[in-house]
Amino acid sequence: MPARQENKQKKVVSIRVLQGIVVVLFLIFFARLAQLQIIDYETYGPLSQQNSLIEQHVQPARGLILDRKGNLLVDNQPIYSITITPANFQREKIPLLAKLTGITQQEITERVQVAQRYSWQQSSRLLTDVNFNVFSSIQENIWRLPGINHQIESKRNYPTDLYASHMLGYLREINESEYKSASGYQLGDKAGRIGLENIYEQDLRGENGARYLRINAYGQRLGPYDNNRLDEAPVKGSDIHTTLDTDLQTLAEKLMVNKIGGLVVMDPRDGGILSIVSSPQFDVSKLSGRLDRDYWIEINSDTTNPLFNRAISTRQPPGSTIKPMMGLIALEMGIIKPEDEITCNGGYLRGRLYKCTDDHGQQNLEQAIINSCNTYFYRIMDLMMEKKGLDNWHDMATEFGLGRHNHIDLPYETSGILPDSSYYNRVFGERLWGIGDLISVGIGQGSFSASPLQMAITTSVIANNGSRVRPQIVKSIEHADGSSSINQPELNKISWLDNQSLELVQKGMRRVITEGSGRFYANLSDIEVAGKTGTAQNPHGEDHGWFIAYAPFDEPEIAIAVLIENAGYGSISAAPIASLILEQYFTGEIERQWILDYVLNFEPRNTLPAVEEEL
Amino acid sequence: MDWIKQFDWPLLICYLLLSIIGLTAIYSATQGPVAEFLPTYIQGNFRNQLSWVFLSIILLIAIQFTAPSTFQQVSYLFYAVCLIIAILTIFIGAEAGGARGWFVIGGLRIQISEMMKLATVLAVANYLTSRRNVSAEKFRPALTVVLLMLIPAVVITLQNDTGTALVIIALIPVMLFWSGLPHGISLFMISPALVGYFTILNWKWGIITAIILSFVLFLVHRRPGLPLSSFVVGLLIVIGVQVALFQVLQPHQQNRIEAFVNPNIDPQGAGWNVIQAKTAIGSGGMFGKGFMQGTQTQLRFLPEQWTDFIFCVIGEEFGFMGAGTVLLLLAFMMLRLLSNAADHKHPFAQLVMVGVAAIFFLHVFINIGSATGLMPVIGLPLPLLSYGGSSFMACSMMIAVCLNLHLYRRQFSIYA
Repeated sequence: MPARQENKQKKVVSIRVLQGIVVVLFLIFFARLAQLQIIDYETYGPLSQQNSLIEQHVQPARGLILDRKGNLLVDNQPIYSITITPANFQREKIPLLAKLTGITQQEITERVQVAQRYSWQQSSRLLTDVNFNVFSSIQENIWRLPGINHQIESKRNYPTDLYASHMLGYLREINESEYKSASGYQLGDKAGRIGLENIYEQDLRGENGARYLRINAYGQRLGPYDNNRLDEAPVKGSDIHTTLDTDLQTLAEKLMVNKIGGLVVMDPRDGGILSIVSSPQFDVSKLSGRLDRDYWIEINSDTTNPLFNRAISTRQPPGSTIKPMMGLIALEMGIIKPEDEITCNGGYLRGRLYKCTDDHGQQNLEQAIINSCNTYFYRIMDLMMEKKGLDNWHDMATEFGLGRHNHIDLPYETSGILPDSSYYNRVFGERLWGIGDLISVGIGQGSFSASPLQMAITTSVIANNGSRVRPQIVKSIEHADGSSSINQPELNKISWLDNQSLELVQKGMRRVITEGSGRFYANLSDIEVAGKTGTAQNPHGEDHGWFIAYAPFDEPEIAIAVLIENAGYGSISAAPIASLILEQYFTGEIERQWILDYVLNFEPRNTLPAVEEEL
Repeated sequence: MDWIKQFDWPLLICYLLLSIIGLTAIYSATQGPVAEFLPTYIQGNFRNQLSWVFLSIILLIAIQFTAPSTFQQVSYLFYAVCLIIAILTIFIGAEAGGARGWFVIGGLRIQISEMMKLATVLAVANYLTSRRNVSAEKFRPALTVVLLMLIPAVVITLQNDTGTALVIIALIPVMLFWSGLPHGISLFMISPALVGYFTILNWKWGIITAIILSFVLFLVHRRPGLPLSSFVVGLLIVIGVQVALFQVLQPHQQNRIEAFVNPNIDPQGAGWNVIQAKTAIGSGGMFGKGFMQGTQTQLRFLPEQWTDFIFCVIGEEFGFMGAGTVLLLLAFMMLRLLSNAADHKHPFAQLVMVGVAAIFFLHVFINIGSATGLMPVIGLPLPLLSYGGSSFMACSMMIAVCLNLHLYRRQFSIYA
């Protein structure tokens, strides 16, 4: 019996050991359950939500851009995009993706790597603007392509025949640094790069919306989450109403084909830009949607630099077009009187001979403007420098919009160069410059440089009887909620300009058109035009042709400045273009077909027609 | 009506509750909104399981009318038949889920390895208790017992059902322990598993475990030989596991173990199951997301959610309350089987009950351990809860035999 007893004792111990093991194990399991479900619930709850929910960004419709009559210049068009979330993507699927999209495996691999560099977890665009067939075949096979998604977006569409490329600008996907610095952008979002798209980005873009969708483990969309209660509707971008005159712009672009230069047409009364052209142009529609790489490389490597905005960013010597302003400053300074005459013997002697184009003889201010007599303006520049100094002159010229930013609503506006003593001290060194460097500034040469926009402003100051106006392309912004904000015109009256001087100079400019260098191409029969030609010497090649004008003479509605680079005399290169634009503006059509043909077939040359002799 | 008093009603109720919870979870995992992502044959799982449950309950009732001695009498025959079928199925069996262990009788597909567990327990229990002189303390009987269990384990391994084979091997120390093998030796036999487990987590922990086990062995055994050899074996296991992890194992097996230790290394690949399983359970919170409301389950984030990961479905949809209830029921069932064994006077019945409890225990341990990320994923069903007719029927038969032995404990004990 003791053996049995002992045996029984042992059984009891065994049972206790086994029961103990069971209890311990279940306690461990309970603890684990409590850890997962109670302590770590905060971790796993959201995790399962993320698992089964995706947030889709809903792009707002970008604002429209309209011309002054309310015609569409830029609107939107739907495009299909393929997106990727690199963390969920399987590299083995690259061949399938290549097959479905018709793009090489190598390119897809590269694009996947780019997406990975942006973010592993967030989706970015793999392919933009794919055609509908590719889009639908991706859609059909989406379950075989984890991490791949598709979305419908929009791209900019340009319903007119205009380029207006520098003015409108284009959109590009924001880069990494912009993504980090700007708020409210998703990777792959686009932002305006140049032109109005850039300046008015905040208005045009609107606000992103969000949509929440349920997905399963295969990434298939199962429909809205929580009856769309969490969704946020996007806010449409604001529409932008510009002052652009489409007819005028169309003509101006046509006239500027095959020429290098810039042109600005504005209303001197409110600064509204009617037309602005920089030539050569580029085609913004090719930069919309999927980037046409070849085209992008082409315009970037083009030696004429089509991306450069020659209407507002270029700095070229304005030449004789500044002579009316020079006259006004000299009159105000009291250096000359209207009737004072200066003798032109074909040049001006001051240390060396500064040449004039002709032997003009006795010239008063009005005659000097009409004949564009350099000697006269060398002389008054010399006197101004001697009696009033460079800096006084500089400050007065600044009021004409030269040497300063005029705050047009476009990016990359240049201030040009309007030299003053600090400029020369910086460039040549203190006391290392003198009157010899200043004389030629008097005829818009030397260090003096300006953009067509600045010359249009100078012109409008004279046309306006002395008021400088801020140039602006956008007159009002219409917000999604129906309200709108208006860009008020800004006019600054130049206090020291007196009407007598203005009248004199205006008359001179009028006579430039009727009897001076503007008479060949710029003299319209019905409209009284006033203007001034310019031929700027340029150390890098042929002379640049300039022309400024305003009309009608009595009550100016329009001011214009045209620059044609390396085209020789302004009177035969720039003036005909400006006059055709004026004709179009006032009559609505072009009757002087021969001038139109002349401009369209224009070949730059440095000789005048046999009948002409001027500068 | 004495049998009403004698019958173990709590165990039966526990069995029925677990079956109902299992059916509910299988319904949710295959008939819920998830159904649209599942192939049709899986959508039929609930109906299949329901018929298996009815069949099993009928079988369970039928078994209650059997004399307990019958189990002793048929044990060798049952064992032999199961073994022969098992060997045959290696060559001619139907294949499912990578394992070749199915045979078909009249339209029913039965996985023989499930039956093999019960057969082995009955055979070993019968061998150890039928004659007086047989004791696991002696070498020859102990070796016979080991062979009785090792042979089916090998056959089942050949069927590619490693999980079940593992359970039968793990049963060896438990059966020997119960039938008289010194505690020290039993501990010695399970120590490699413990050392191995901790080595997978971290080899330093493996060594610490080996040292602690040797110390405990010395306390139990009081002689230096066994603890010393245990320590040496422990060290060998640590080295062996390290070598196996990096040299021997197939890459996919390495990945699985890697994924268990650190699921975030490859969240889309090998770590996926572990992460999704833990997410499912964790996101259930205290009260769960509701029946057929679990996003992890219904959106198909869980693999094999009607079998190996059924516990995740319960955890997600019924929360800590639901999963905790299941744990309590399972714990109760095992403790009940063990205390019934202790109450029983007949060693055969004791051994069968302990064996059944051990089988349940091993399944629960491995299945819930896998689902909660406490151990590498090994595909084993959760008894009575997972989908699988053979598994359910085998579990029911085991419970039925235990209920029977308990019911007739007075009559049966006479033979002792």
